[in-house]
Amino acid sequence: MQKDKSADSTSLLSKNVRIEGEIQGPENLHVEGHIKGAVVLAGDIFIGNTGIVEADIEAKNIIIQGEVTGNVKAHRQLEIHPTGKLIGDCSAASIDIKEGAVFEGRSNMIKSSPATGPASPLKDSRTSQNPKQSPS
Amino acid sequence: MASFGKKKKENKPERTQTTSSQNETSYFGKDLTIKGSVSGNGNVIILGKLDGKFNLRGRVKIAQPAKIKGEVRADVISVNGVVQGSLIAKERLHLDQTARIEGQMATPRLSISEGASFDGEVKMSDSSPKPSMAPAEGSAAIAQNKTAPAKE
Repeated sequence: MQKDKSADSTSLLSKNVRIEGEIQGPENLHVEGHIKGAVVLAGDIFIGNTGIVEADIEAKNIIIQGEVTGNVKAHRQLEIHPTGKLIGDCSAASIDIKEGAVFEGRSNMIKSSPATGPASPLKDSRTSQNPKQSPS
Repeated sequence: MASFGKKKKENKPERTQTTSSQNETSYFGKDLTIKGSVSGNGNVIILGKLDGKFNLRGRVKIAQPAKIKGEVRADVISVNGVVQGSLIAKERLHLDQTARIEGQMATPRLSISEGASFDGEVKMSDSSPKPSMAPAEGSAAIAQNKTAPAKE
């Protein structure tokens, strides 16, 4: 049994707003805008109808109604709604793809190992892409 | 008691919460860290951390737990949090009591509440193309002499 400790705060990226870069934290995120970069959350991410994400995503639950290009990793569940589109590979403990949804890519099921505990925001699996930008 | 209609437990997956995008205010919670740039049209409230740039047409509110490193450009900026870098407001800029700023500010209208801390420099040229409004009313703005002639 996984602890249902949902993050209590939901951040919102509204339409017409664009983030380029990395986003991380133990929050839920609702995206109606545009993200390019990387997203690592311990909470859930909800990509609404107008949301466009060009990024690798890691989160507890991933719900896609908009468009995602990138590899996604859902520690619990990936949901693609009829309006949703995912171009990229996914790995998830559970997947739910509705009729009408678009998914192009590979899928890889995470074998449930609840012993690993809640999603930690930083997994070492993403050391490969670290842009290392130094603020000068 | 007549039960009017059974509780139909039809699980509706479509939670139509997308209508909430009516108000165009983005909200970044206190545990969210953003590295990079945020741009576009709309208002933003940030409580978390930003390492990078804001470039927005709209209002930006930097609430108390927020920490910004970098540059913030917007029409209206109000600060309760911590900023290291530059704040450039096209219309007006307000530092509230809990604001702590290190860096540059540029705005045509400035107000600073008692208790705010500000280390750096301000520029108050009226570079914003605003024909109707008088540049600095005594109430909020620290009126500087309008040195620069109006340039387009």
